[in-house]
Amino acid sequence: MLQRRRMLQSAAAILAAPALVERVGAQQAFDWKQFKGQSLTISMTKSPRADVMQAHQKEFEALTGIKVESEQLPEQQQRPKMVLELSTGHPSFDVTHFSLHVSKRIVGQGKWLEDLRPYIANPALTPADWDFKDFSAPSIAAATQPDGRMDSLPLETDFWLVYYNKQLFADKGIAFPKTLDDMMKAAHALTDKSTGTYGFVGRGLRNANVPVWTSFLLGQNQATITADGTKLLTDTPEAIWAGEYYKTIMRECAPPGVVGFNWNESQTSFIQGKIGMWLDGVGFAPPLLDKTKSKIADHVGFGLMPAGPKGHHCPVFTDALGVAATSKAKGAAYLFCQWATNKAMLLNLVRAGGGASPRLSTYADPDLVKDSPFGKEWLSTLLESAKIAQLGLPEIIPVTEFRDTFGVALTDMIGGADVASSLKKATENFKPILEKSLKS
Amino acid sequence: MKQSLASRLGLYFSVIVLVSPAILVFLWMLSLSLKNEADNTAFPPVFIPNPPTLANFIDVFERNDFVEYTINSVIVSFGATIAALLVGVPAGYGIAKAKAGGSAALILVARITPGLSYLVPLFLLFQWLNLTGTLLPILITHLVITVPIVVYVMIGFFEGLPGELEEAALVDGATIWQAFRTVALPLARPGIVVATILSFIFSWNNFIFGVVLAGRHTRTLPVAVYNVLTFEQISWGPLAAAALLVTAPVLILTLLMQKEIVAGLTAGGVKGG
Amino acid sequence: MSAHVATIAPAKPATAHQRRRNYARRYRLFIVPAGIVVAAVIVFPWLFTLFMSVQDFHVGGAMTFVGLANYTRMLSDERFLWAILHTLYFTVLAVIFPTILGVIAAVCFNQRFPLRGLARTIFILPMMATPVAVALVWTMMFHPQLGVLNYLLTSIGLPPSTWVYDSATVIPTLVMVETWQWTPLIMLIVLGGLASLPQDPYEAAALDGASAWQCFIKITLPLVWPFIMVALVLRAVDALKAFDTIFVISGGGPGTSSETLNLYLYQEAFAYYDIGYASAIVVVFFVLILLVTLLLMSRRAKAAAA
Repeated sequence: MLQRRRMLQSAAAILAAPALVERVGAQQAFDWKQFKGQSLTISMTKSPRADVMQAHQKEFEALTGIKVESEQLPEQQQRPKMVLELSTGHPSFDVTHFSLHVSKRIVGQGKWLEDLRPYIANPALTPADWDFKDFSAPSIAAATQPDGRMDSLPLETDFWLVYYNKQLFADKGIAFPKTLDDMMKAAHALTDKSTGTYGFVGRGLRNANVPVWTSFLLGQNQATITADGTKLLTDTPEAIWAGEYYKTIMRECAPPGVVGFNWNESQTSFIQGKIGMWLDGVGFAPPLLDKTKSKIADHVGFGLMPAGPKGHHCPVFTDALGVAATSKAKGAAYLFCQWATNKAMLLNLVRAGGGASPRLSTYADPDLVKDSPFGKEWLSTLLESAKIAQLGLPEIIPVTEFRDTFGVALTDMIGGADVASSLKKATENFKPILEKSLKS
Repeated sequence: MKQSLASRLGLYFSVIVLVSPAILVFLWMLSLSLKNEADNTAFPPVFIPNPPTLANFIDVFERNDFVEYTINSVIVSFGATIAALLVGVPAGYGIAKAKAGGSAALILVARITPGLSYLVPLFLLFQWLNLTGTLLPILITHLVITVPIVVYVMIGFFEGLPGELEEAALVDGATIWQAFRTVALPLARPGIVVATILSFIFSWNNFIFGVVLAGRHTRTLPVAVYNVLTFEQISWGPLAAAALLVTAPVLILTLLMQKEIVAGLTAGGVKGG
Repeated sequence: MSAHVATIAPAKPATAHQRRRNYARRYRLFIVPAGIVVAAVIVFPWLFTLFMSVQDFHVGGAMTFVGLANYTRMLSDERFLWAILHTLYFTVLAVIFPTILGVIAAVCFNQRFPLRGLARTIFILPMMATPVAVALVWTMMFHPQLGVLNYLLTSIGLPPSTWVYDSATVIPTLVMVETWQWTPLIMLIVLGGLASLPQDPYEAAALDGASAWQCFIKITLPLVWPFIMVALVLRAVDALKAFDTIFVISGGGPGTSSETLNLYLYQEAFAYYDIGYASAIVVVFFVLILLVTLLLMSRRAKAAAA
């Protein structure tokens, strides 16, 4: 922990040299202290990106004279709490850090977060070097509501990749798989139940497990719902193929109890050194290289999501920052969002391994991985992922019900249930919920 | 009654079998809290911490506002207990004396109602009243736990008291309020002690109200241990340390006041949570 | 969520009753403050819930009156029906095991032996300990790879279990935790009953040369039966309402295989924000608890009459 902080500081120092010059020029035009003396409350989803924001929070306070109080809560708690608090008009926070793939539409429906377009356009609130055009088009699309309002700023785009244990691969003389078929073969080859070694681990827990299945589904070049968001594609032959893949790899190559694993249990299993591959978000990397926590800090590989029979995509999920419409310190709140998503901060995020930046300039920085424990392989996988990224979850209001309904089908499959009939039933169960949400 | 040696041994054996699950779980909790991470995730497990470390406890205090959560818990549990005593002791007296079974039935309804059913309306109400940043909503919801405990313990105690002394006081011209204050209340002190301890403990232990109602500065300990310290990678040591800190006051109180607690619980079957 | 003491005190003599009756009305004033508190925190939520249960209301959406639609929806809601089955399955097991063990424990603790007070106190610690804290420790013990329980099983030659990580074993495992935690309550209530037993029947039986077992079956059990029934009713109510341990240990999973009504209710209200439907479930859940309580109480009354 301490080590990492020191590492971050030194990285920040290197970065500060060119940035400082820029800032001198900008400072005359931009007044960071305009909301001096105000205080902000920020609700964050527990994650490495929130760690990075908190690690640099003091710098923001020094820069602006705004007092910041932030807190991370596990996503299972933070997500419903945020929605319930916003809905009653008295949220306990000014800024919220949330997942667009879960809460975007419900938040947009209620117009609970401030439309940030006027703020971005206002040079008094946004310095010129913040550079809105620097954000990747998909990340801006993700943060924009169907009615055109942009009520959040993208903070992190979480590509899914395959973490792998190089030692175990070397022991068996296997190369990292390029296709899903090879991945299945590798997973089987690495699995040796007599020594408690398993080729694969991934989320089995209801709700959390759905993106694992959609990852495989993308290999069939298919999403879970039609592009207009009205018709489910969850019981097609492609969806069934992805379900079979999920069922086989989780039943035959994953450790017992995987049905109860979310990303954190999978991570724990992986860093014990007895797991070949772990499929999950790029943003969960930091502890893997932390020697106080990980038994495999020297052997972690970062592999691109393998190609499927009909397509080669990796799913992407976006985290964002928004300002509560009822906040009494909207200006200060926006300043925080703007600061946390500026070039320097997102570079910090990537250097700490906290995930992928939605800004293009981050990757143009020649010193991006210098002094970072996350080396070339990590960076190149991340860049390759960006090229093949697709939304991993449908953009609908009842995302949680969607994930729960199909999550149950997936846990049933791990338990041995028939894939086709499980998916058919889940699709039938979810259809009325989707239709109802479309009406309102 | 005379007993054979065999039946004596059988009894001892049964008692050991009965108490060992309790002992073992708490010892394992202690063991986890005193070991470093490497030992906690070792397999086969390390049973005896060697050397024991307090690092987990230090970690809990350093990384969290544990002191604030403790103060919150103390305020909520004491507040809810005191409020419950203020209304519950007279109510227990009144019900015992007036034989008002109907009032008791309402509290029976409270006993069987699932806690979540209070939560949805109260959560929305407190949000609309904009009270959620304070401890008041949590304290108020804890009355659902503490008031029935106090009332029922006190009914039992007042019914067990001989009525002659109060009646003598009434004959001497005292009002029923005076009779209650000067005669019944002092006699009921042991009952009040039992009611206080039980209502405090069950309020302290409550989780479900806080998990929905509590915010950053209003979190009670059980919520904090679940909310803030959940399994991020494997942090079993700090988690076990925090769990131990949360439950230790209750365990110590139970050991110290076991006679009162057993008396209170034997009389009926109070349970919160 | 609240508490209750089943009063087992014997009826007061009639003369005292008559004398006190004159004051009865004035004594009722003592109940007023508590009555107000109860009305505020219990009656208000009930009215609100009944009102909401006939509305279609999602958090963030509009509210429309839908009559009984929320109730009829339950009939075709498979997850709800499964939740009822899980609740009943859990409850039956979580009543039977603690009751049997609790009666055995009460008989043991009713004997005299050295350190009895200390042993009894240790025995009741699980029910006093903070449920969330204990549940977290159990969760660590259930870990399929690193948990101590699987180590203990394999070290005595048994196969490891998947505990709460398998839909077949999750409910029995949760029942094990529940039994660990709540057997003491049964023990205490039954112990209270044993302590109040008269000695005469035992002396008579001893003269007849009855064995200890015969004494237990023929004399003790019938005499403490009312106490066991009280304990059983309380246990059933608590098991139906169980939340903390299930929520923390399994979260209703894997899938929905340990999702009881209480857990499902939480999900509908606080994950899907469907306040209308959740309120209707509250009403049905309450009716279910009430029915079970009344059913058991009527059996208790029958047992008392017999």
